[in-house]
Amino acid sequence: MALIMGLDIGSGTSKGVIVRDGKPIAYHLLPSGVDYRAVAQRLREEILAMAGLSAADIADTIATGQGADNVAFSGHQASDILCCARGVISVFPSVRTIIDVQRTFTQVIRINATGHVINFVINEKCATGSGCFLDIISHVLQIDLKDAGPLSLGSDNPVVFTTGCAVFGESEAISRVSEGASREDILAGVHQALASKISTLVDRVGLEMDCAMSGGGALNVGLVQSVEKKLGFKLLAPEQPQFINAIGAAMMAENGVTAGNSLSNSGSGKIN
Amino acid sequence: MGIFRDHSIREDSLIYFAGIDLGSTMTKVVIVDGDGKTLSALMGPTGPEHRRLANKVMADALLRADLTFDDVSYVVATGYGRINVPFADRQITELTCHAKGIASLFPGVRTAIDIGGQDAKGLKIRNDKLVDFVMNDRCAAGTGRFLDVLVGTLGLRIEELGEISLKATQKLPISSVCTVFAQMEIMACLSQGTPLPDIVAGLHDAIANRVVKMIKKLKIEPEVVFTGGVAKNIGVVNALQEHLGLKVSVPAEPLLTGALGAALMGKELTLKAIAEGKPIHEKERRLVESTFFHTENH
Repeated sequence: MALIMGLDIGSGTSKGVIVRDGKPIAYHLLPSGVDYRAVAQRLREEILAMAGLSAADIADTIATGQGADNVAFSGHQASDILCCARGVISVFPSVRTIIDVQRTFTQVIRINATGHVINFVINEKCATGSGCFLDIISHVLQIDLKDAGPLSLGSDNPVVFTTGCAVFGESEAISRVSEGASREDILAGVHQALASKISTLVDRVGLEMDCAMSGGGALNVGLVQSVEKKLGFKLLAPEQPQFINAIGAAMMAENGVTAGNSLSNSGSGKIN
Repeated sequence: MGIFRDHSIREDSLIYFAGIDLGSTMTKVVIVDGDGKTLSALMGPTGPEHRRLANKVMADALLRADLTFDDVSYVVATGYGRINVPFADRQITELTCHAKGIASLFPGVRTAIDIGGQDAKGLKIRNDKLVDFVMNDRCAAGTGRFLDVLVGTLGLRIEELGEISLKATQKLPISSVCTVFAQMEIMACLSQGTPLPDIVAGLHDAIANRVVKMIKKLKIEPEVVFTGGVAKNIGVVNALQEHLGLKVSVPAEPLLTGALGAALMGKELTLKAIAEGKPIHEKERRLVESTFFHTENH
């Protein structure tokens, strides 16, 4: 009945879960801000309070994400690739390819039948391939990011972006707005641009079915549909996709990872 | 300027050429005389209404040279918005015009680097002519846009960057190429208390690194001339020199070389037509009152 805490300290938001016997019993999400150390501390205090637990009840804490180094109280850290794989398999054991769309990174991960990561590609050099681009355009359109997906479904004429750069894309969106393009069409255009970047990552890593989408990007119904259309098949989507890496982190401890064991990446990954 | 007020002299012996460079950020006009001497040079920010702005900057430049539009024999438009200059006699690409303008100021130029508001170019120039080029207009990194975005994050003005960077004790290494990611990186550094001059010097180094990587394909040879709005930033000039290992020359008005080259191209075309006994203008001149005097230019 050990309780394990998984923390995913991301560049945009920080996610925490408490897992008991492989099942999450508490979820919590906070904006990361600029101080990862402080947000990790707050995340722990608040999720413990929500679950009615104290720090002593937690057998182990595993941190992942960009700010994992700053989680002073964590027992171990794990790479977000491994956590993502572990988290997704815990929900969909049949998955072999995972598209993880985060705020700053998009990664596509291939796993084998035993759940080991065998390959991955990360888009981390350019903001156009990640949630960032959508963030920027939502800001231009003055809409809440969570409305971007549903709104885009109302598009009948998606805007085609001529640029592959998020900064130039922002100017292009502003010009299109001034030319009278609708918010729906611009958002649908952004989703298509992201979908085409994602599909090149999928091609590079080599697709094997089933394929799932996780990360905050999977909450966006417009993006999910655009990716499905581009790839030509349905994606599996976990219910709380933004918590998958935190859940995966907790699972790492449940599966007997101790301080002596390595949690580094395996597989022949390529960073793009 | 007295001589230009004397219409009899002007009509008899002097001809004028104008170049207009409608860039993504600034619109520039240069008027030269028959000797290629600059009489008037002006710029204004390119707004969303290209045509009106083109008219206005042109009108102001004419006023400054004490000329009327009819005094100008030939108008060449260049730059990204060159198609939106209704009164131009001809459109010529900015690469050709830049090469021309730069070579007129630095006859020994072999390599030119132009960093503008939304692109960066490397030009290989031999005997006044463009022979090869490389260009980045796909990614904001390595263009003036990179600095435009980040200067906002730092709460500074673009004109201050050069001076501030000179106070740096070390350069902050910026690991992200992408402007958006660099912005996040810098926000984190600001919160950790990295001194502002070090951050600015790091940005200059990043832009120089990116541009030099691109233009290396041209086999860089001296003399190297640096133009475009970013050439006004002494920090980027120094960073380029460091990355190239060569001295970099900057014209007094690094934004105007395109418009200057356009005016000089107009002069060349006119003299060629006269020598060949052909009509100077291929089409009827388009400067009609509706393009000019009916705007709210007063």
